Amino acid sequence: MPSLFDLQNALRDVSLGGDASTLASTIIGDGFIPEQRLIVHRNNTTILLSEALGATYSVIKKLVGDEFFNAVAALYVRAQPPHSPCLFEYGEGFGDFLATLPATTDLAYLPDVARLEWMWNAAFHAADVKPLTSADLAPVAPDAYGDLIFSPHPSLRLISSAFPIKEIWDVNQCDADPDATVNLDEGPQALVVLRPKASVEMVELSPGGFVLAQSLANSAALEDAFAAAQHSAPSFDPASTLAVLISVGAFQSYTLRP
Amino acid sequence: MTNLDHAAHRFASPVSASPLPVRAGIGLKAQHYQDIIDTAPDIGWLEVHSENYMCAGGPTQKWLSAMRERYAISMHGVGLSLGSAGPLDDAHLTRLCDLERRVEPGAISEHLSWSIADGVYLNDLIALPYTEESLDVFSTHVLQMQDALKRRVLIENPSSYLRYAHSVIPEPEFLLNVAQRSACAVLLDVNNVFVSAMNHGFDPIAYLDQIPADLIGEVHLGGHSQVVFDDRVLRIDDHGSKVCDEVWTLYERLIQRTGPKPTLIEWDSNIPELSVLLDEAAKADRILAHAAIREEVRHAVAV
Repeated sequence: MPSLFDLQNALRDVSLGGDASTLASTIIGDGFIPEQRLIVHRNNTTILLSEALGATYSVIKKLVGDEFFNAVAALYVRAQPPHSPCLFEYGEGFGDFLATLPATTDLAYLPDVARLEWMWNAAFHAADVKPLTSADLAPVAPDAYGDLIFSPHPSLRLISSAFPIKEIWDVNQCDADPDATVNLDEGPQALVVLRPKASVEMVELSPGGFVLAQSLANSAALEDAFAAAQHSAPSFDPASTLAVLISVGAFQSYTLRP
Repeated sequence: MTNLDHAAHRFASPVSASPLPVRAGIGLKAQHYQDIIDTAPDIGWLEVHSENYMCAGGPTQKWLSAMRERYAISMHGVGLSLGSAGPLDDAHLTRLCDLERRVEPGAISEHLSWSIADGVYLNDLIALPYTEESLDVFSTHVLQMQDALKRRVLIENPSSYLRYAHSVIPEPEFLLNVAQRSACAVLLDVNNVFVSAMNHGFDPIAYLDQIPADLIGEVHLGGHSQVVFDDRVLRIDDHGSKVCDEVWTLYERLIQRTGPKPTLIEWDSNIPELSVLLDEAAKADRILAHAAIREEVRHAVAV
């Protein structure tokens, strides 16, 4: 008689694609082959977790079709099953996983679109915090602006891609024009993804703006972030991008570098 | 003091075994949020899967608050995995307690099953081997859940597709033992009893008759599907269709014995228009109303 721990580990392995015959003697067949009863559980895990991934990755599902998506999702479920029962937290590595599959090499934009969908999902479920506004900065003396360190809004995510992923995302929403197309040569693209209030928003950034946003999100002081952005894109005007970041709600608070 | 008295005393709280309105409720699905707010249907209560609302913030929580302002809520957990060997996930239990404080649900329930092995969540409700070891593990976990929540919880009988050669305790007896050891109540899923009875060849009426009326805090009704292996049918509890006639008959018989109980219409896959769920709920409400009248008459004549 197996211990409960051993039995559950063995059944987990079967549900994740392992050999069902190892458990056959533990299961009462009762008119069925024991493996047939075990396979019901493998199907439950595969189908229900694939559905959860499909809910988070609806654009990927639309791009590749249900059949292909379900095949890839089944592989992912077996390679990286969830460790949390909260399924809105499941699937963070799906974009990286897609990048490793030979079957997706002709669809080079897929991993980045998946990463964008994950960011949308993370922003959607992030804590509700009132974003910082420019009025909140009124107490700061102009001499001290260079020492500002912003704390990013909990929903803030940043992504840059060689492809126009926002356009790909847009035309694959359920309410999009079915005849709309995307020119893949329109890339590269950098985006800030965030949910300052009820809706998730995506705002396009210039290459310099992306470096600025990344530096600020990593707690760089404002003057260092300006310098990093101008170093990466010499003609870049950091002040206007900072104004955009503040107005879309990219930060929740600030401190001053001591 | 017996174990039962002792345990009941520990969880004596204002929350009775059946604090939900004694009517039919429906499972709350995201597809129906707007429709429910716009049309304010006359339903007794709503049930949510607790795990879907454990996010840090965002619109799903706001929808739940809006629902809570309008209806009683039952929190139905699918992720604590009370039947897993080893300790419960403390972090998950803490999230459950936080949600419970926010929602103040009329009932809170989990399953007589397991879903987690060595940290991996299988998103499946798998039957336990009914052994002394399982009974110890499961009852201890129910007590731990109730201690954390400071209230009595409901435990739902599973639908099952397999039985283990080393099981020694019949399932209804196991469930009653858990209830006795932990002073939990029972969420009796009539469809699950029927699905398991068909899959294993036992009498669903005998099972249902073993559960005392005063232990039942809530009843579940849902649809199931069938798969065929070599001419033999296995019933799969996928909550993707209407409640079948056999289950309605079992339900009516149950309610005649127990009197009215809060009853849920569950629908989790192939989700139809809200009106389809409301029609099923209305059907359950008619059975509940009929049973209520019978009780009143019985009471009147006895006086």
